[in-house]
Amino acid sequence: MRKSSFGLKVLAAGTAAMTVLAMAACGGDDKPAQSADGELSGELSVWGWGNGMKELAEAFEEANPGVTVEYAAQSNASDAAMKLTNAIAAGKGAPDVCMLEDAMVSQFAVQEGIIELDQFGAQDYADDFVAGPWGKLQVNGKAYGMPLDSAPEVLYYNKAVFDKAGVTEAPTTWDEYYEAAKKIRELGEDYYITNNAGFQPFTAQAWQAGGHMWTVDGENLTIDMTKSEGMQRYIDFTQKLIDEDLINVRINAWSDDWNRSLNDGTLASLTIGAWMATNLKSSAPEQSGNWRVAPLPKWTDGGENGSEDGGSSFTITAQAKDTTLAWAFVEFATHGEGAQVLTDEGGQFPSLKSILNSDEFINADDEYFGDQKINQVLVEAANQDITQFQYLPYTQYATTIYPDYTGPAYMGKVRLEDALQDYGEALAEYGEQQGYTVTLK
Amino acid sequence: MAGNLGTQAVASGSAVRVNKHKPDWRGWKFMWPFAVVFVLVFIIPIFYAIYISFFEKRMVGGTVFVGIDNYIRLFGDDQFWASCGRVALFTVVQVPIMLFLSAVMALCIDSMKLHGAKFFRISTFLPYGVPAVVSTMIWGFMYGSKYGLVGSLNDLLGTNIDVLSPDVLLASIGNIVTWEFVGYNMLIFYSSLSTIPHSLYEAASIDGASEWQIVKSIKIPELKGSLAITVIFSIIGSFQLFNEPNILQNMVPGNAITTYYTPNMYAYNLSFSGNQSNYAAAMAIVMAVITMAIAYAVQLNSMKEQMK
Repeated sequence: MRKSSFGLKVLAAGTAAMTVLAMAACGGDDKPAQSADGELSGELSVWGWGNGMKELAEAFEEANPGVTVEYAAQSNASDAAMKLTNAIAAGKGAPDVCMLEDAMVSQFAVQEGIIELDQFGAQDYADDFVAGPWGKLQVNGKAYGMPLDSAPEVLYYNKAVFDKAGVTEAPTTWDEYYEAAKKIRELGEDYYITNNAGFQPFTAQAWQAGGHMWTVDGENLTIDMTKSEGMQRYIDFTQKLIDEDLINVRINAWSDDWNRSLNDGTLASLTIGAWMATNLKSSAPEQSGNWRVAPLPKWTDGGENGSEDGGSSFTITAQAKDTTLAWAFVEFATHGEGAQVLTDEGGQFPSLKSILNSDEFINADDEYFGDQKINQVLVEAANQDITQFQYLPYTQYATTIYPDYTGPAYMGKVRLEDALQDYGEALAEYGEQQGYTVTLK
Repeated sequence: MAGNLGTQAVASGSAVRVNKHKPDWRGWKFMWPFAVVFVLVFIIPIFYAIYISFFEKRMVGGTVFVGIDNYIRLFGDDQFWASCGRVALFTVVQVPIMLFLSAVMALCIDSMKLHGAKFFRISTFLPYGVPAVVSTMIWGFMYGSKYGLVGSLNDLLGTNIDVLSPDVLLASIGNIVTWEFVGYNMLIFYSSLSTIPHSLYEAASIDGASEWQIVKSIKIPELKGSLAITVIFSIIGSFQLFNEPNILQNMVPGNAITTYYTPNMYAYNLSFSGNQSNYAAAMAIVMAVITMAIAYAVQLNSMKEQMK
C-alpha cells in the first residue's frame, strides 16, 4: 500500500529523469529472462568485496562453460560505491554487475547508474527473500538490486568479559545495557562495553528507537534529526553513555585499534549486523570461545527490537553490455546455487529464506562462539517484522560527513542533540542543492 | 633597448616581418612533442575545470549552467576557509622548521668534518623515497596511544601523552611531513653548496677565516638562492596537504580529521562522495590562484632580497 502510493506520487511528479528511466524499463530489450542453462557465453565483469566471491565466480563459470567472469575485488563497500560513481560520471568503466551496500542502491537508481530488475522478473522472487533486505532494494516499487547477505542488527558480546564484570545475562533492554556498561567500565581504565561506531549503527539504533531521521517521498525529503520522540530517546540514551564515559570514543570502527581491542577483550560488545560473525573470527582470534550473540536490546520491554545494519546486493549497471548474461549471474548468485556457495565458502549471512530456514543452517554450532548455535539468534532477528527502512538518495554523502558532526559530540565538546541538528541542516542544504524539496524539522 | 628594437621592426616594414616568421616555425618543430603533451595534460584539464565550474549537476534536474554561483558559494563556505586557515597555519609553522633542519643538515654534510657523510646524505634522503601513504601508516602506528610506540612509552614512563589529540594533531602531521621532506630539501641546499668554487675556501683559509666565518660569509649567502626554490616548493606542497591526514583519518580518535580538514581533502570528498565535482572544480581553481599568489609573492620578495 505504502509502496504503491509512493510510486504514484513520483510518476505524478513526472520528472524527466523518471520518465527516461521508465521508458528504458518498458521499451528496452524485451528478451525473456533466460535461466543459466549453458547457452550463455561471453565475458562478464563483476565488482564485489568480501569472502566467497572468487568461489562464486568459479561456480558460475563451471555451470556456464562459455562464460568468463572477470571478478575485481574492491576493498570495501564505500570503495565500490565511489568507483561506481566515478565510472558513471565518466560514462564508461563500470562493470556489468556491481555489488552495492543496500543503502546505496536507491542513490544509484535515482542517478540511473543501475537498471531496474523487474524487467527480468525479479519481482517473482520477492517472497523468497527476507522482508528486510528485499524492502531496502525497492525504489519506487521496483527492484533495483537482488539481496546477497542480510544484516539484522544484533548484539555480539564477549561473555568472558561480561562474566568478569558480573553481568551474567545478556542485556535485553537498553536500560539493562546501560547497567552492564557501568559494570564493565569498572573493570579497568581500558574496558568499555562498546565504541563510537559510526553511521550504520546510528541509523540502526535510532531507527529501532522509532526515530525516522529522514523520510523520502519522491522529490520531497523530510529530515528530522532531533525533534521526534524516537530521536529524543536515542539522543538522551547515547548522551548518557557519553557523559558517564561508558563508551570508548577513542576507537573508530574498522581501525587497527578496534581489531586489537576486540582481540584483547577491552572492547566487550558490538551492536552490529549479523555479518560480523565471520569478521570477529579474523579480528579477534585470541577471544575464540568467548564471544556470543544475543538479540538487539529493546527500548521497552516487549517492544520492537528489529533493526538492520548494512547488507549488500548485486545490481546491474546501466553500462552493462549483455544484460541477459548479467541477470543470469545475479540470479545464480542470489537465488540460485551461488547463494549456497556464498554461505558455505564466504560465511555470508544469507537473505534467501530457503537457506536461512534450513535445518543445516540453523543448527550449525560454532566453536568460536563457544558452540552457541548463533544462527538461531540471527535467523530470529532476520525474520523480525521490521518497519520498512528508507535511505536518503545521497547516503554516500550522508555517511561521509556524519563523523564531522558527531565526532565532537562523542569527544564531549558539543551536545549530541546540537551536533545532530547541525548534521540535519547540512543534509538539508545538500538536498536542496541537489534539487530536492527538503523540509527540515 | 627592447622597445627600440620593436619600433625599428615596425618602422622597417613588411619584409622584415616575413623573415621573422620563418625561424619562429622552425622553433615550434622542436617544441611540438612537449607542446602536445603540455596542452593535453595541463592546458586542457585547466580549461575543462574552469568550464565545469560554471555548471552544477543536480540529482533532480540534471546539469544546469549556474554562472559564478559556485564561486559565490565558495566565498561564503566556512568549511572551506577553515581548511585554508588550517593549511596556512601548517605552512607558517612547519616550513621554517623543516627548511632550518634541511639547511643545518646540508651544512653538516658539506663541512667535510663528518664521518660517513655519504651514509648521512643517503639516509636523510631515504624517507623521501618512501611513498607518503606508507610513511603515514608507519607513523600512525607509532603514534597510537594505546597500542603504538607512544602507548609503550606511556606504559614505561607512567605518562599519558597523546600525540593524536585534536590540539596537537596538526603538529603530529607536521612531524610526518618534515620527516618525509627534510632530506629532499637538504639535497637542494647541498647541491648549491657544492657549486661553491674551492678557490673561495682557499682564499678564506689564507685570510685566516675560522670555520664559522666561512659558514657565515660564504655558505649561508650561497644558500639564499636555493632557499627561494625550497620555500616555494614547500608552500605548494603544504597547501596541497592530502595524503597524511587522509590516511590518518581512521586512526585518529574522535573523528578529529574532518572531511574538510585540508582544502584538497574537502575537494576530494565533495567530488567523490558528494557528487559535486563542479563545486570541487571551482574550489580547485580558487586554491590554485591562492597558492600561485603566495608563491609569487615569495618569489618577488626573494628576488628583491637578491638584488640588494
